[in-house]
Parts: sequence; C-alpha cells; structure tokens
Amino acid sequence: MPEGRGASLRFRCSTQPKTGTMAHGADQASGGGPGRSIVLGESFRRFMLRPESTALAAVVILFVVFTILSPQLFPTKLTYISIMAVAAELGIMSIGITLLMIGGHFDLSIGAVLGLTSYVAVVLMRDFGLSPIVAAPAAVIAGAALGFLNGIIVVRFRIHSFVVTLGTMLIWRGVLIALTGGFPMTVDIPPLFKDVMAGPLIFGFRMSMVWFFGIGLLGTFLLTRTRFGNWIQACGQNPQAARNLGVPVDRVTVILFMIASALGALSGIVQVARFSSVDALRGEGMELQAVAVTVIGGTLLSGGYGSVVGTVLGAITFGMIQVGLVLAGAPGHFFRTLTGLIVVLAVILNTDVARRLARSRPLAGFRRSSAAADAAILGEAQPGRDGVEPGVIAESGEAFRDEKTP
Amino acid sequence: MSTTSEPAGRKTALPDGSGSEESDRPRRQIAPIPDGAVPVMEAIGISKGFGATTALVDVSLKAYSGRILALLGDNGAGKSTLIKILSGVFPPDRGELRFNGEPVRFSSPAEARARGIATVFQDLAVCELLSVTRNVVLGREPQKGLGPFKWFDLRRADDMARSALHRLGVRWERGLDERGINISGGERQSLAIARAMFFGSSLLILDEPTSALAVRQAGRVLDHITHARDQGQAVILITHNFRHALSVADDLTVLAQGRVAANFRRDEIELDDLTDLVARVA
Repeated sequence: MPEGRGASLRFRCSTQPKTGTMAHGADQASGGGPGRSIVLGESFRRFMLRPESTALAAVVILFVVFTILSPQLFPTKLTYISIMAVAAELGIMSIGITLLMIGGHFDLSIGAVLGLTSYVAVVLMRDFGLSPIVAAPAAVIAGAALGFLNGIIVVRFRIHSFVVTLGTMLIWRGVLIALTGGFPMTVDIPPLFKDVMAGPLIFGFRMSMVWFFGIGLLGTFLLTRTRFGNWIQACGQNPQAARNLGVPVDRVTVILFMIASALGALSGIVQVARFSSVDALRGEGMELQAVAVTVIGGTLLSGGYGSVVGTVLGAITFGMIQVGLVLAGAPGHFFRTLTGLIVVLAVILNTDVARRLARSRPLAGFRRSSAAADAAILGEAQPGRDGVEPGVIAESGEAFRDEKTP
Repeated sequence: MSTTSEPAGRKTALPDGSGSEESDRPRRQIAPIPDGAVPVMEAIGISKGFGATTALVDVSLKAYSGRILALLGDNGAGKSTLIKILSGVFPPDRGELRFNGEPVRFSSPAEARARGIATVFQDLAVCELLSVTRNVVLGREPQKGLGPFKWFDLRRADDMARSALHRLGVRWERGLDERGINISGGERQSLAIARAMFFGSSLLILDEPTSALAVRQAGRVLDHITHARDQGQAVILITHNFRHALSVADDLTVLAQGRVAANFRRDEIELDDLTDLVARVA
C-alpha cells in the first residue's frame, strides 16, 4: 500500500473482517439468527417505508368501513366488478401520470387528450370504415404524438409542465368541442373488439381489468427493473445531478409525456369500446382524478418518489369510494368530499417520507448486515486475510442475503 | 484503536485538518514530470467570454496520470469556467483541449464522461430518495437481457455499490437497496468520488470538494483524492483552501482574473509564499 493513502483504508483493512466475524459470533451466541419477531418487525419497518403502504392501508380500511356500512350489498362479486371497472379506466391513465409525476412533471392535458384520441378512434372507424384493430393503435399513436408535443415544449422552452399542459388542455378540449359540435357521436363497434377491450369475460369482470393489471405490471417493471426507471426517479429528484452523470434528462422527459398521453388514449379506447360513443366532454376532470389516484398511491407531488403498485391500489381506492358510497346510500356529493379527504390524508402521510426514510434504522438483529456484506466482499478480494476463513465470510454473506427476503 | 489514531492526530496537528502530510511523515518529495510523458488532459490557450465579460484568457494547463493538479484562485478567477470547459459543459471560444495527446471537442458532459473524464460538481449528484445502489450506478446501470429487451441487473448493481463503498471505507448499516439515503456532506463527496473512480475514469475533476465540510470529513475526502492519485488517475482539484491544496497536490496552478498567474511544483513553494502570491495577483 503506497504511503499517503490515508487513514480510512488502513482502518478498513484491519478492522472490518473482524467486525464481520464478531457480529457473526454474537449472532450465533444469541441462538442462531435473529428471532422471528425481529424478522417480522424488520419486514414491517421496510414495508412502511414503501410508497404504497398508505394506499394499501386505504384499501383495507375502506373495505372494512364499507362492509360495515352495507354488509348486504358491499362484499359481493357484483360490487367488486363495478369497482374494478371504475378503477381500470381511471387507473390505466393514472399509471402514465404516475411515471410522469415521479419524473417531476404534471400533465393536466391528459383528460383532453383522452377525449381527442377517442374522437380520432371513432372517426376512423365510423367515417373511414377502418377496423378497430387499425383505429385503436392509430389513436394511441395520436396520443403519443400529443404527449410528444407537450414534452418538447416543456424541455425546449423550459416552462413548467403545469402551465404548458394547462394550455394544451384548453386547446385540445376546444378542438374537440369544435370537431364534435358539442354532440355525442356514436359508432358501431365489432363485438369481438368490444369484448377484448371491455367485455365482461373474466368470470364477470371486465377485460379492462386485465389491461389495467397488465399495464400496472409493465409500469412497475419499467420503474423498478430497468435503467430507464432509475433515470425517471433521478430526473424527478435532482435533474441537474442526473444530467451531470450522463442521464439524457430531456429525452426521458419527452418519453414520459408520450407514455402518459398514449396510456390516456388507451383509457379512451376502453371507454369507446364500452359506450360505443364519444362526446365533447369525454375525459373531462379525469386529469385531476388521475393526480388524486397517484397521490393516494404514495407518489410525491414534488417528484422522484412513487410507485405504480401504489397507483393501482389508489385507483381501486377511488373505485371503492365511488361504488361504496352509492351502496351505503350516501348523497352524491359525499364522493368528492371523501376523495378529497383521503387525498389530503395521503399527502400528509407522504410529505415527510424523506424524513422517515432518513431516520429509520434497521432493528437490532440486522445492524450487522452491512458489515457482513463488506466481509463477503473482502473475502472475494483478499481471501483468508487477517485469519478470517473464506468459508465463514461466505456464510455471513449468505445470511445477509437471506435476511432481506422475508 | 490504533487504527483510528490518524484522523485524531490529524485533528490535533492542524486545526483545519489538512496538514497530516507534514505532521506525520517527512516532507514529501515530488517527483518531476518524466520527460516525454503525455498529459491525460492538456488545455492550450483556452479563452472564454460571456457577453461583455471575459472569463478566461489564454489559459493552458496539463494534468498527468498519477498526479494531482491543484487549481487555485480567488472567487471569480475563472476556476469554475475552466472546469466546465474541461468537462464538456460548454466549449471554449478559442484554444484546444487534448485528451491523451489527441485534440478533442466535447459537445456535452456525457461525451466527456464517455471519454473517462469524471467531474464531481459542487452541487452533488446524490438523489436523496433513491437507494445507495441506485445512486452509485446512476447513469451506468448494469443491464442484462436479450437484444432490445434489457433490464436492470439489480444484483450486479448491488455488488458494484458494495465494492464502491468498500473501497471508500464507508459503513452503511441499512440495506444498500433500501430507499432513502442520509449521509453527511463528507460522505456524499466521498460517494461521488468513489463513483467516479469506480467507473474507471482517467481524469477526475473535483470542484471545491472540501468546502462546507467539517474538519475530519475534509481530511477523509482528501485521503480519497490521494487514493485516486495513487491508483494512477490524473486529478484536477479546484479549491480556494491553500492548505488543502498544499497537503495533497503535486502541481499547483494559480488563476487570477482569468489568466494563469503562476505554476509550481508542490515542493517549490510554502504556504506563506502561496498566500502572499495569491493576495498579490488577485
């Protein structure tokens, strides 16, 4: 080791293997691994730090409350079917909004995009006689193009996305009203397509639920298991840092707007398939419902932190409120009030997430995990150093891995 | 216990925590730059202006592998502009950059990074709500998969983060893949340096890494910088703390009002002379 390398290195080399074995030994003494309650406690601690914990709590609590309020009507299959139908249509587009919000942006135009792309699909089918197999992808592509426009304006002129999409929302809504003349347009849709998009095929549940869950899975995979997902989160938290590290922040932003609008269009197609029509006000107000769903799902308004699974749960929460209140015989306006209350509660719970994350410490039995892991690495780099058997190191390394899974 | 004595000794030896080189061992002899060595980064006659103001005039410098070049100067001397040019944030108006002897022109920081120039900017590249692993591999995520279907190799990313932290001697008691990171300013600098070193850069540029750090933390960061040097990196260290510069640097360049005011080898100058010089030229 050359001179002048510094204290930390010497410190590390001579003590860390020891730390590893000592921790290991202490563990053995206390009866072979941490107790079950500690494992459960640690799992619970880690779960509470996840963004979707509040949404899951909301789903469970609301389910219990509505079951108590209307024990005859609420816990029935028919109710679940209605809840999922509401959740799916809103949820598909909320997943796009979630990714966008984690990336640090808003899209208020999504409802208008939904309306306009639905119009595109209907016109292509009705006036051009195209098959829905062509019209539906065309509408999704049109949605992506509208999203591209939003994204380009945001990154090119460095205007806050809230303002940009407020503008495009008004523009697209105005265009839609002009094009439809304010009247609903109906269209004949082949039953097969209707069934594939929104038919009650899955034991009575609508196909939209399958789309919803499928896109939820894809979205989660994208966010947590791809490089792009890491970039989304970094862009939302510290765009300058991300840029310095070589993340193409502008490209990520534009792609996120395209994903959001394309999923908005897909939501629109599900509705077109269900209603066989489009009207001038289609999708209006859904942009804010999508934000509400996303926030209930644990995504921070400030960006950088959130979860698609949370949004799926948030959409189900939304569906439960809508359906559950009707079944409980509550007046219509309760719906908005209760949704609002839950949104505010969720925001309060999620606001200090950074503080919670920073403060949280592993439970006693797990404090050693990092040291064990370090020992495992040292074992790879310098086997047998300082009298530590490579086998012992590997063993404690294994223990480190296992502890994280329960 | 003996292992922890050096940071403590450092603290008592010099109040600002930078002078361990002098207090612990005989004065370091700086080897001269060998004849014919090609600098990793050479700037030749760089000039840059912003509108009516001139930030840099005809600035030249050379950074060699295995040596630390300290770039000194008062506020507004042009240090930050120079490193932004070196790391590709913007191009110079006039002058040439040579990387390993070959003329280069960067159009973005990403391009400079791809060449092996790692810059640790003052606004640290740490995302608070991401896990340590995701922070370390950000921008260089390991991937696996087939053809266009690639995904994030989390296990390898964890291994990378673990060994990056390990090299650094940072102990992390929570899971590496756990969201949320709460580390001190010094550890952040260290994390950024570890990340830069881990990805095999050949030139490490550090913008004021020790400003706003507590004494002991600054000492550790300087240790990491010398460690990078000893591993054969060329290092450019921007600082306005002369003590820090003198304690680790091999060569020193003083900037004043956008020009190179002086060039020294470390053993050619003492702290008092340097302080006088900078005060005189500024």
